[in-house]
Amino acid sequence: MNKLELEELMLRISSGRDEMAFSTLFDFLAPKINAYFIQNGLLPDNSEELTQEVLSTVWAKSHQYDASKAAVSTWVYTIARNKKVDFLRKNSKIDFKEEDIREFLYDNNETDKINEGEVKDQVARINKELDKDQQKMIKMNFFENKSHKKISEELEIPLGTVKSRIRHILIKMQRII
Amino acid sequence: MNGILVKNQLVFDFASGSLGPSKSLLASTYLYLNSSASKLNLTFENILGDNLIENKDVPIKTLKYSDCISDNSHEKISAQKNLNPITKLVGPLNKINWKQIYKGFSEFDPKFQDDDDLKLIKMDPGASVPLHSHGGKEYILVLSGSFCDEFGTYQKGDIQINDQKIKHTPIASNDEGCICLTITEKDVIFFGRYGSFLNLFTFIKSFFK
Repeated sequence: MNKLELEELMLRISSGRDEMAFSTLFDFLAPKINAYFIQNGLLPDNSEELTQEVLSTVWAKSHQYDASKAAVSTWVYTIARNKKVDFLRKNSKIDFKEEDIREFLYDNNETDKINEGEVKDQVARINKELDKDQQKMIKMNFFENKSHKKISEELEIPLGTVKSRIRHILIKMQRII
Repeated sequence: MNGILVKNQLVFDFASGSLGPSKSLLASTYLYLNSSASKLNLTFENILGDNLIENKDVPIKTLKYSDCISDNSHEKISAQKNLNPITKLVGPLNKINWKQIYKGFSEFDPKFQDDDDLKLIKMDPGASVPLHSHGGKEYILVLSGSFCDEFGTYQKGDIQINDQKIKHTPIASNDEGCICLTITEKDVIFFGRYGSFLNLFTFIKSFFK
């Protein structure tokens, strides 16, 4: 499913409360969100529970999604990431709702000034500049939150090489940004 | 150490949700105050969002779409007046109950339970901090006013990240002073089988930095 199709589904969900559209979105996203939580080290029971929370939020807050501000994929990713952080911090004694704080980035006035086209250009340039292996490493490090050590084990390359390659990628990205 | 790289790393780690509570709060305040950092975050979240929809599937066992539909109404949007992460936690900056450490320099500890030591500091106009260095990394985010040191001038929304080899003498601006959010990392200590070896290694390595 491409980004445009996802956007059309979101529109049907938010303005029409269209359950069929939601069911299509669910079938596409649920296994991917579930995979994200498992990649981040959660047990299958917990990952399905959090997947339910993410997609419940998508349904309940669909009217807050604004296509001019972010792609559906970005919006859903941030919801999933926030659920992951809250889950991992469940036992922490910090008594204040961080999710409220993280949501500000989406509603923030400052972000309005950011040209969405500019962000898209940057993402396209980064994807063009980084080869498949480098993109994979970014995914493992930042999306799956794997430690450098874990990446080195999985890709069977020395830890020092992983560290220097990631550093190299970040410097490369910095030049583009 | 490359300063911009360290700042970018903070934003990337925020986007990936791997920061502890203190650093996450510092990073979100940074993004709130600094629109170029906020743009960088958005770019990186876009990349991670692409990772999500291109992710391989792990089939769902029991969950159904109907489990995610609680009722048909939209959840109400609460009117959020204050979006600044730090003042949401501690209240307005001009009403903080500061504790003076020495003349011209005060602190406020929000008692955030985390390994990273999060504090607010206030320097009166022209006040300075004596030359010092750090055990771990130090993060200084300017919330209001400005300060300068040997490396430059830092204004509202600017962040300075120092490692232990940095020695500096911050001086608050003469007209408005400076309020900052700071984190001091504890020293990294290795545990486990190779712990003592790694600590010795870190110790020796510190001489060559």
